[in-house]
Amino acid sequence: MSGEEEENAAELKIGDEFLKAKCLMNCEVSLILEHKYEQLQQTSDDPMNQVSQVFEKSLQYVKRFSRYKNPDAVRQVREILARYQLAEFELCVLGNLCPETVEEAIAMVPSIKTRGRAQDDEAIEKMLNDLSLIKKFE
Amino acid sequence: MFFHIVLERNMQLHPRYFGRNLRDNLVSKLMKDVEGTCSGRHGFVVAVTGIENIGKGLIRDGTGFVTFPVKYQCVVFRPFKGEILEAVVTMVNKMGFFAEAGPVQIFVSNHLIPDDMEFQSGDMPNYTTSDGSVKIQKDSEVRLKIIGTRVDATEIFCIGTIKDDFLGVINDPATV
Repeated sequence: MSGEEEENAAELKIGDEFLKAKCLMNCEVSLILEHKYEQLQQTSDDPMNQVSQVFEKSLQYVKRFSRYKNPDAVRQVREILARYQLAEFELCVLGNLCPETVEEAIAMVPSIKTRGRAQDDEAIEKMLNDLSLIKKFE
Repeated sequence: MFFHIVLERNMQLHPRYFGRNLRDNLVSKLMKDVEGTCSGRHGFVVAVTGIENIGKGLIRDGTGFVTFPVKYQCVVFRPFKGEILEAVVTMVNKMGFFAEAGPVQIFVSNHLIPDDMEFQSGDMPNYTTSDGSVKIQKDSEVRLKIIGTRVDATEIFCIGTIKDDFLGVINDPATV
């Protein structure tokens, strides 16, 4: 497939289907999977037996790498990042990795700079500050 | 990266399930069928979260089975080339190390580990810098960049690098 060759997340080439899809941050996935797991617990005695290995591994992974634990904080993160005209994919990479400096943020999401949007260093810095505030007050 | 997407699947249902609980049966069969599967295009299907629409069933000649087109929402995990993510180291050897990010395995070859990190064999094989300040071993958390993916029928396998700015160990289990 020719589309496969050109795939590059750094330039936001992830295919139309995924570009338009809703991305999920690890903390959001964690909320969804835990909810589903609780539902399973109510209907069967041994829920771990019911779920696939993929589910189990994903749940462990997102629990380990969730930056924000409480649902309100998760929603706030999305609200704040949504103000900066980011693509869904970029928004989630930032929400997952929580870079601390502007330089780090650009290294993590090079497409912020290259897409010619008015994303100057000051705006990025403000965004990172807002994010770290949520973390602090969680 | 995890995505929430809508997928479609033609579900075949045995006539014994027809009745009041047809929809429930269809949904639980869908979950059993698709959760945990992997395709190169959409990645790993982690969990079905909702049903968008169930189309009109079509009775198959001869068998009595009915095929329903089902549109459903699900959480998928799809790694991309160029993506940066965090992963847990699962195995270290002299060729490099393996790490896991959710359902996907990522291999980082020793050519893609910074040159100042040397392989140390022993009980707990690891890569350590010459001054000993940074160590990669089993259970370390690393931030890496995916530089290649290989897809086969039931698995996606990735090649990663930690030889770039802001990549590498984020937490060392030995020091926590």
